[in-house]
Amino acid sequence: MIDTIANVLLQGILLGGLYALFALGLSFSMGVMRFVNIAHGDFIVLVSFLLLVLTTALGLNVFVALILVLPVTFAGGFLLQRFLLQRAAGSDVLLPLLITFGLSIIIQNGLLQTFGADSHVLAGAGTLQTASIALTSGIYIGVLPLLTLLTAVALVLGLDRLLNYTRLGSHIRAVADDVAAADLIGLSSGRVYALAMGIVGVTVAIAACFMGLNMNFDPTSGPDRLLIAFEAVVLGGLGSLWGTLAGGIVLGIAQTVGAHFDTAWQLIIGHVVFLVLFLLRPQGLFPKY
Amino acid sequence: MVITPSAPLLAVEKLSVFYDQFRAVDSVDLTVTPGEIVSIIGANGAGKSSFLKAIVGQGGRVAGSIRFDGQDIAAWPTSRIVGAGIALVPEGRRLFPTLTVEENLRLGWDVGRRGGMTAEEVFDLFPMLREKRRVPAGQLSGGQQQMVALGRALLSDPRLMLCDEISLGLAPAIVNDLYALLEKINRRGIGIVLVEQDISRALNVAHRFYCFLEGRVSLAGVPRATGRETVMKHYFGS
Repeated sequence: MIDTIANVLLQGILLGGLYALFALGLSFSMGVMRFVNIAHGDFIVLVSFLLLVLTTALGLNVFVALILVLPVTFAGGFLLQRFLLQRAAGSDVLLPLLITFGLSIIIQNGLLQTFGADSHVLAGAGTLQTASIALTSGIYIGVLPLLTLLTAVALVLGLDRLLNYTRLGSHIRAVADDVAAADLIGLSSGRVYALAMGIVGVTVAIAACFMGLNMNFDPTSGPDRLLIAFEAVVLGGLGSLWGTLAGGIVLGIAQTVGAHFDTAWQLIIGHVVFLVLFLLRPQGLFPKY
Repeated sequence: MVITPSAPLLAVEKLSVFYDQFRAVDSVDLTVTPGEIVSIIGANGAGKSSFLKAIVGQGGRVAGSIRFDGQDIAAWPTSRIVGAGIALVPEGRRLFPTLTVEENLRLGWDVGRRGGMTAEEVFDLFPMLREKRRVPAGQLSGGQQQMVALGRALLSDPRLMLCDEISLGLAPAIVNDLYALLEKINRRGIGIVLVEQDISRALNVAHRFYCFLEGRVSLAGVPRATGRETVMKHYFGS
């Protein structure tokens, strides 16, 4: 009994690590740049397909492929912000929503045309995907889920350090505080936003790699990932990266508990727990604003 | 004080600033020579702030020419203008409230010419800021915030500082300190343009002044050579 409870909790925390990875980029763009990216899940799926091509066509190890892809997604985020999303900056919230909603549809259909509707999973990580560690006789944890959680923690630490202890971080926080004031003193908000979106691109690539290793994906998986990411961000509290990690873990535990009773309940329980917590604490667990 | 003629640091000619159809600044000519303090006085809505913002490339659409150190900067982005040595101390301070005092100051360095004063030297000028260096700027008093705003501008190593209403909402004693400091800054050879609603303060400290009325220069001159009544007449219009 104790073993079962411990096991369910542990697996939930591990799943939460993956959800936190989905959510961190969204948390960064919502909390820091105050903009909601409807295409966030589709970006993750798009990069997963990119990694799929690199690992299958070129036979690369998935982590080597990830390292190759990081500069590409950084540049992608930077250019997307500079030449498309920045044009909507300073308008009301509707315009960025519509633009990213359009991007979402374009990405899904483009992937469907190119790769078909089949679902895929990333391979190329060797025995990592099946290895597990026995904690006690009844409790095993997979090496990959553990690595996923540790990556999520490392990414939060990294983003936190970047935001609070680097020059770029102080520029990003300044622009988040007061865009107009930043422009007045010559701190070009357009450039800072573009760099911040480049950082989001890096988090998207990392999320894509671990999503593809941990679960199936197909061209229409994006909105599901977005929903999970949204829930993790809102549960954690806007603007708090550690909160997002906590939010992801809460969702992971809720889903794992649901799935323990009936696998059909997994997603429903996650959403119900989100709604209940949202009603009780709409500002999230660790609100910053 | 005798102003010796020299090449102007800032030469603005026929500058107009438009917000949509509204002309906030109308064909203004203005010069600042190196090391000069120039005050711009005028009632609310006379176009003073719009004028300062236009010099650093912000606010409305501009027509006319803005030359800084001989170069036409009217089409430059703000970052390049600040990098060339013009710093704006904006109306209302406009510090970044969640950033610490030190982070706010360092932003000035990051956007500026990368020379001149350091954060430590600013703390020497404003000793009370030193113990607050790690405090979020939003928690400071108005006077302390204004010191940080001035310090931020100084860290960008400006050759020209544009100060917009630095006395607004502050106690007279603090304003005295800030003005004493401005004269100290000026003695380092930094040109200063001072926009002020407090006419007597603005005229006391300035080498020359301009009075704005409804977007135009209604009067320009040397404070001591201009009678108070003349100033008031052009301040309010006749």
